[in-house]
Amino acid sequence: MKTLYVEGDTFLHRLSPRTKLLGLAVVSLVLFLIHSPAILSVAAALGGIVYASLRLGWRQSWLRLRPILLTIVVVALFTLVFNGWHDALIVVTRLTALAVFAAAVTATTSTGDFIDEITRLAMPLERLGLVRAADIGLSIGLVIRFVPEILGRYQAIRDAHRARGLKVRPLTLAVPLIILTLKNADEIAAAIDARGVRAQK
Amino acid sequence: MTTRDLVLAALFAAIIVALGLVPPIMLGFIPVPITAQSLGVMLAGVILGARRGGFAVLLVLLLVAIGLPVLSGGRGGLATFASPTAGYLVGWFFAAVVTGYCSERFVDRSQAGIVQITGFFLAALLGGVVVDHALGIFYLAYITGTGLATAFIGDLSFVPGDVLKAMIAALAGRAVMVGYPLLPHRA
Amino acid sequence: MDIRFEQAEARFEGRTVVQPLTLSLTERRIGVIGLNGSGKTTFARMINGLVLPAAGLVTVNGFDTVKDGDKVRGQAGFIFQNPQNQIILPILKEDIALGLKSRKLSKAETDDAIDAVLARFGIAHLGERRAHELSGGELQLAALASVLVTRPDILIMDEPTNQLDLRNRGLVERTIHGLDENVIVISHDLGLIADFDRVLCFHEGRLADDGAPAEVIARYRELAA
Repeated sequence: MKTLYVEGDTFLHRLSPRTKLLGLAVVSLVLFLIHSPAILSVAAALGGIVYASLRLGWRQSWLRLRPILLTIVVVALFTLVFNGWHDALIVVTRLTALAVFAAAVTATTSTGDFIDEITRLAMPLERLGLVRAADIGLSIGLVIRFVPEILGRYQAIRDAHRARGLKVRPLTLAVPLIILTLKNADEIAAAIDARGVRAQK
Repeated sequence: MTTRDLVLAALFAAIIVALGLVPPIMLGFIPVPITAQSLGVMLAGVILGARRGGFAVLLVLLLVAIGLPVLSGGRGGLATFASPTAGYLVGWFFAAVVTGYCSERFVDRSQAGIVQITGFFLAALLGGVVVDHALGIFYLAYITGTGLATAFIGDLSFVPGDVLKAMIAALAGRAVMVGYPLLPHRA
Repeated sequence: MDIRFEQAEARFEGRTVVQPLTLSLTERRIGVIGLNGSGKTTFARMINGLVLPAAGLVTVNGFDTVKDGDKVRGQAGFIFQNPQNQIILPILKEDIALGLKSRKLSKAETDDAIDAVLARFGIAHLGERRAHELSGGELQLAALASVLVTRPDILIMDEPTNQLDLRNRGLVERTIHGLDENVIVISHDLGLIADFDRVLCFHEGRLADDGAPAEVIARYRELAA
């Protein structure tokens, strides 16, 4: 699976993931405290400059932000109709600023760095006995590993429908897909335990 | 959590991701394509129960957060959580937990089929429709400042589709329970 | 290698699947045969501690599978029937590194160990590949690499050639015969174990036969007929 991370050596790439995540949290808090469309526009422009400094190219930059910008526009129109242009402007500028800052963090932080950071953040929870921090990375790896297998199985089930002249329906597709996939859980779990990956207590 | 629980949750998260990558499926009786990812969230609760189902959805959200384009239409990354509709997305976790908890309470293997389907339907309706839409509406109203009533009106157009998904989740949940039972029972 | 069963029995959902068994295994290459449902897979899983004895005792090189599960798994590696389900992480190298995690090695030591084990099975070129792109034979070799990188003393394989085509079957067979480790192989492929040191035959949850391959296999053919 392709990630949204882009290799590079910009200022943001060099910052630690923790700094970036904390920074993003602070930025979002501040954005929600500001109620002036003018200042929020400046913030959005600043975010735009940071995002542009990553040099993703116009096309890439647009493709990444398109779905969220479209949602923001629809919701802003909705706000315009019910609350007037002032509130609509706040929605557009605040959310656009937030979106570009967030997209900049995503583009400059590799999934591996994220997983390491999340694992470290989970350490206090491990001490409380809530989770095993190492399980987080393992589970994320498992998901990425098995998505292609499931897509392959989906194709096979669809072909089986076609071969028998049956129409593809959500139920006849989902049920065998789920059962066939989950039936592997026992063997995968045994393979993990047999290799002593999760130390048993 | 046992290794098996961990693997079941991870496999279900992978199913939810895969459901976002396949083209929308047409229903037989009405000409509406079903985007299957939110159906997957209800299924996680109905099939795996509250704990494992909730963990499966949490994994999907984690994948989104770390920059993998795992949502339908190739969406992903932290910006997704900056969307005005992020309440629905974060609501998925609570939807799966509530659907799972209710399924464990309402349904057990000794019941008649129709009782099981009704139980699963109510569970998916409570979690996947009531809880998820409530969180979505709250966040949308907060973000736009339009008030809950207006946000609720905007939300209504998505309710029929999700009720339909709850129905499909109920039928699928019952079929999986017959074929490969996994749901724990809560007295 | 020193594996001992002392009146060890296995139950599953109230049913006894392996009857109380007393046995000592020391030979370097041991084959296990039997009809479907005869208890041979459960027997193999008891050695690695994946199935714990409901009564009695199983020890591997002196470690009790109940009390020292982690140590037992360090001594005895396990390869499952379906190679698809054994590679847990998306990239082969990541997957192999997983088994080394508990060793607290440095990055360089980990990389060296991974390169060495990939080279040993002639799959150095597959290290960066995604697991779902590998063929059945490649996956089985990858599974061997991911298990043997931790240098277990014993390798248990559950029908390692079962799901492979003819060419991959030959490849995996040659690889098994070339292993230096002690091996215990469960197989329906009688040719694979014909030159092993000892063969056990299970029937209806009991050890029905035990001895030199030629005789045990001949009697098994009569039993199955």
